[in-house]
Amino acid sequence: MITGPHRYADLARIWHRMVHTDLVPAFRSLGWKVRVVIYRDANQDRFAQSDFPQTSFQDPGPGARDFVEFYDAALQTDCDFIFFLDADVFILDGTWAASFTRHFNNPNVAALSYLRRGKLPGVFALLCRAEDFRALPDRAMMASYENLQKWPDSVNRGPGERAALMLEKAGKRIMDFNSEAPQRISDFHGTTVIRVSRETFAGAIGEEAFETLVANKRYFAMGAYDNVLLGWLYRAVFESTFAPGADGGELGGSLTAEALRRVLARIERAELRAALLEYFARSDRSAERLARYLGVRAPLPALIPDCWRAANAR
Amino acid sequence: MLGSGQFFQKDTFGPETVNRGAVLMECEWHGGVFESGIMMGGIFRGGKFRDGSFWGGVFWEGEWIGGVWECGFDRNGRYHPRTDHPPFA
Repeated sequence: MITGPHRYADLARIWHRMVHTDLVPAFRSLGWKVRVVIYRDANQDRFAQSDFPQTSFQDPGPGARDFVEFYDAALQTDCDFIFFLDADVFILDGTWAASFTRHFNNPNVAALSYLRRGKLPGVFALLCRAEDFRALPDRAMMASYENLQKWPDSVNRGPGERAALMLEKAGKRIMDFNSEAPQRISDFHGTTVIRVSRETFAGAIGEEAFETLVANKRYFAMGAYDNVLLGWLYRAVFESTFAPGADGGELGGSLTAEALRRVLARIERAELRAALLEYFARSDRSAERLARYLGVRAPLPALIPDCWRAANAR
Repeated sequence: MLGSGQFFQKDTFGPETVNRGAVLMECEWHGGVFESGIMMGGIFRGGKFRDGSFWGGVFWEGEWIGGVWECGFDRNGRYHPRTDHPPFA
């Protein structure tokens, strides 16, 4: 089973396109039976079945009340292997991904991790041998906090991270192919967080405060930038509006390209600019790889404000 | 008194505080009354949560009277999904 939690149908359409174009055929070529399940964490009415052929939906319910709880629930599905693939992660080479399944001949290998964003493999692109994960204690995949008495210096574990530690303790391995990811995977960060924030509280605090937040919070700026790139791809492929706002406008549910340029121009801290520039270059490469794959030929949107370039030139 | 339209990030609020609509991101709440608004991340160390939304923070201690529990953690670091606010709260 290839599965992932989704909140936004437009992003899920890109994910669905990639999964069915490359990943599903690659695993089927191994003789595996493959099914695709999308967990609709919110906005269920926006996911039209006609947009997601050969895919079934799962909605929040007992045991899977939200996307964090979903991972443990998914492990109970009747299947041998479960491929968790995050909503903004796109595997461009299914044959590459499928080639590593030979490692499952080793009974000590519990999972293959194709993409890691921290020290531990999370659930961004994780192919799990289901029986090894089912043998873990209940709620093993759940997010958690450790050392809360030391707040704010506590440890926040994302979904799947505790499971990785438990497996290691049990003598099981998660094979890590993260070093090859830049050539084989296009991934984007924070694209859902900024949209959730937009729909949850941007209206309450006002546009100016929201833009200030994006200017001050690196992860939000990253998400806003990546959504513009995804919107550019989405429009080219599906000829429709990505992340629409309440008025239906392009990217109004995140931050429009124009607003993002304005926000970036406000950022004066050199270290933040440098960190974002490095990240944006990485995102550009991700988007270009995905664009080539999808047959999109239009030039990437130009988002870096002139004042950043001028400062760099000095 | 905090009101609608206000936004705070990484601030701390004492027991005399009443929230009536402000958005608090990554803040510490120490004993006041949360009547409405949104708590995104951060830690709720005590007080009454009467209404509003709780998203992703830690509910260390306090009285949960009502509101929307979107997700969060209890004082043991255990995750509580949507609708499942901590039992002691």
